[in-house]
Amino acid sequence: MFTVVTGGSGSGKSAFAENLVVKEKDGRRIYIATMFPYDQESDKRIERHRRMRRGKNFETVECYTGLKNLEIPRESCVLLECMSNLVANEMFMENGAGEYTVEAVCEGIQNLRRNCAHLCVVTNEIFSEAATYEGDTRRYQEYLGQINRRMVEMADQAVEVVYGIPLWFKKGRDEERRAD
Amino acid sequence: MELIVGGAFQGQLDYAKRLFPMVKWTDGAVCSKEELCSCEGVFGFQEYIRRTMREGRDVMGLTDLLIRKNPDILIVSEEVGYGVVPVDPFDRSYREAVGRVCTGLAAYAKRVHRVICGVGTVIKDD
Repeated sequence: MFTVVTGGSGSGKSAFAENLVVKEKDGRRIYIATMFPYDQESDKRIERHRRMRRGKNFETVECYTGLKNLEIPRESCVLLECMSNLVANEMFMENGAGEYTVEAVCEGIQNLRRNCAHLCVVTNEIFSEAATYEGDTRRYQEYLGQINRRMVEMADQAVEVVYGIPLWFKKGRDEERRAD
Repeated sequence: MELIVGGAFQGQLDYAKRLFPMVKWTDGAVCSKEELCSCEGVFGFQEYIRRTMREGRDVMGLTDLLIRKNPDILIVSEEVGYGVVPVDPFDRSYREAVGRVCTGLAAYAKRVHRVICGVGTVIKDD
């Protein structure tokens, strides 16, 4: 099962995704952390997420770039958070994929899907606002937008979380069953 | 408690007024804490959050305060978390605070409405 969880800033999407993965009983729980600790603010964010995960039995694996080379235990439940950081890393870090970010990330997702039992990816809605951007920021929106679309095409189900409330926009078998 | 959210200029207040024609509304951009805690309905709630933060006061306690002091309040608020991460640190923390406070209020609210192009959808109905 492959689930994509999206939402805005502070929407409660992480907590929702964690609970979704924790409900799966089988396999080891792997958390792929993509946020690079480059300043105090990101340190605080990382610490907040660690606190949220405490007691939920996740093994944390850090992956800033090169997702396709990451090896994870077979048949595990994987939660990757957050796609928006991974894309920024690939685009702007020295050893990142640069202009090949979309391909590199999508290959990485396919690699994970092949190897794990359940995959859940948290991504971000950064596409609806009045401000317009140029250059790198515009390209960042374009790449993340493309990746989100490709992921949801591959995914069994996809959900937007609005202030903690799940709005399913692609329903997998489980969700259809629940709705019946 | 009911929460009515949506993007800028989506008509959430008109929608709320149609749904609750008898309610007296308070403006989040100018009201005091006391007014917020005693009013029937508040619109522009995100502006209340922004003002509070600008004054250097804590906003994370706002969820509990409203649940305690004004549990039947109607809250109209703008969604501000769907853009690129702002460069300005204040904008970043404001945007996140609106999300966290509204997530807390949505968990408590009996109903949550989301308005797009003037049309509301009930996304939570307990």
